[in-house]
Amino acid sequence: MVKKYTVAIVASAMLLLTGCSQKSDVDASAQKGAESADSKLNQLGAGDGMMKLSDEEMKAQLIKDLEGKVESVYFAFDKYNITDESNSKISANSKLLGEGKAGELKIRIEGNCDEWGTDEYNYALGLKRAKASQDAMIASGTSADRISIVSYGESNPVCTEHNKECWAKNRRADFKLLP
Amino acid sequence: MNYIVVFLLFISNIFAVDATMEIVKRLEYIPGIVIEEKTMQSDNAGYYSKKIHKVLVGDFKVSGHFNVDDTLGSFSDFESLISLNPNVKGDLLLKYETITNSDGSLLVNAKLINLKGNSLLFSKSYTVSKSERFPFLAHKIAVDVNKQINAPSIEWMENFVVFSKFITAKQSDIVISDYTLTFQKTVVKGGFNIFPKWADKSKESFYYTKYLNKPTLFKYNLFSGKNEKIIESDGMLSCSDVSEDGTKLLLTMAPKGQPDIFVFDINSKTKKQVTNYSGIDVNGNFVDDDKRIVFVSDRLGYPNIFAQTIGSSGVEQLVYQGKNNNSCTAFKNYIVYTSRESENEFGGNTFNLYMISTKSDFIRRLTPLGDNQFPKFSQDGESIIYIRNYKNQSALGIIRVNYNKSYLYPLQSGKIQSIDW
Repeated sequence: MVKKYTVAIVASAMLLLTGCSQKSDVDASAQKGAESADSKLNQLGAGDGMMKLSDEEMKAQLIKDLEGKVESVYFAFDKYNITDESNSKISANSKLLGEGKAGELKIRIEGNCDEWGTDEYNYALGLKRAKASQDAMIASGTSADRISIVSYGESNPVCTEHNKECWAKNRRADFKLLP
Repeated sequence: MNYIVVFLLFISNIFAVDATMEIVKRLEYIPGIVIEEKTMQSDNAGYYSKKIHKVLVGDFKVSGHFNVDDTLGSFSDFESLISLNPNVKGDLLLKYETITNSDGSLLVNAKLINLKGNSLLFSKSYTVSKSERFPFLAHKIAVDVNKQINAPSIEWMENFVVFSKFITAKQSDIVISDYTLTFQKTVVKGGFNIFPKWADKSKESFYYTKYLNKPTLFKYNLFSGKNEKIIESDGMLSCSDVSEDGTKLLLTMAPKGQPDIFVFDINSKTKKQVTNYSGIDVNGNFVDDDKRIVFVSDRLGYPNIFAQTIGSSGVEQLVYQGKNNNSCTAFKNYIVYTSRESENEFGGNTFNLYMISTKSDFIRRLTPLGDNQFPKFSQDGESIIYIRNYKNQSALGIIRVNYNKSYLYPLQSGKIQSIDW
């Protein structure tokens, strides 16, 4: 009984295989006169090019990431001395910006002031804040050659309301990165 | 023209007790003046006629040489030498008719009449090629009327004012205007442009700082459009003053990260460091025939006003009051500076202007309240222009030093950052 079933299954399988072989032969003969549409497709690369960033794009991405991590430091009214809290932030910034590819980037420290005073003095005050931050960065191990400073006086506010909390946010030094 | 609101801030005897001040050229008699416009003008001409009237009223008041009637009368007969108003009071009658042309130009025919004798003092026509320039047309009429009564010159009213206007973070434009801010034209746009300073007395060009890779000083010619790069500096750069002959500039620069004052020679393109201090030295002004400078420094631990002879290292403290004296302007022996005298750093009485003499212990407070900044003497020394920020509004202020009067012209939008005239 078992023998009968085995013979039947083997016979059926042979029929199926024979059938498939015949269909394949038909298709192959039909392709002989067809025009290929895949010549350009065959020239395509492995398909990973779309994900590849240029060096410039990678640097821009790195700068964006790092600028999201570095911390600004803040100053008291009419002052440009670095507090202990600010010094800790600057040390952390210095460490972060010295690691790996970040260490190849230039750093621009921008000094800023609150809205009190539209005078040249405010620009000088912003510059001294940037300079004090630069000195602290150098003391934390960052090469002086990598750092430039600039002052925007009261012209680069992050907060435009007219209250003490807002003014305090504007008395700051920002750490920007350049390729 | 609601924005030409002229506020009379204070009338006090600012210089009454200063024996060292120059004699004030006061008129023995202040003539009264009334103004009349032509009736039945076209809508467009009527519109500009009303605007011209408001500027004229402001000019006559600011001059200090007239008692001006604010109300605008009217006439139908331009040739008549009498007023239609039987109750008119005054010594002078200014009649004018405004004509708008299809090419956009504006023509004003004006007559000045002596009401005491019903005689014609002058009859003139004035024109501007674009109607929005009407403030300068009105200022010219005011200057001519003023000349007619032989009062001290008010020709400064015809000069341009140049200022930087804050747009948004790291963006400021350079704008020229008349002294009332009624006419405004942006001349440097895009990017961050600050500290405009007239290049010489002709006021055809001005210096300004543009932020490129580094703060860079340019010289811009209003008429040719030529924009010439002068010098650049790390950190900051501002042209604080120009010598009498226009050949030397006082620059605040920071080539080594320290803000110090330098003299820059326009012809040789060389600079010479004047101050050398590890803190802040800024805002230099030439005094004493351009041989000495007055400047702001924090060398005593807070900003204050000092003087130094160019070429020497000795520094003299000029001001002994105030806790934060952070800007100054000089004319001959007189210095006007900004001072914060309140203990509360953000109190209501925040920054006021004071005037001192380098030749005596004279000192006078010039402003009563608010945040008053960036004082600049006029070229004749008779007026001081400044920026006033009060209740979130930026305004251009003018102090007429010989007339004990002060006026404010609010900026409709934006914030004035730095100014020169």
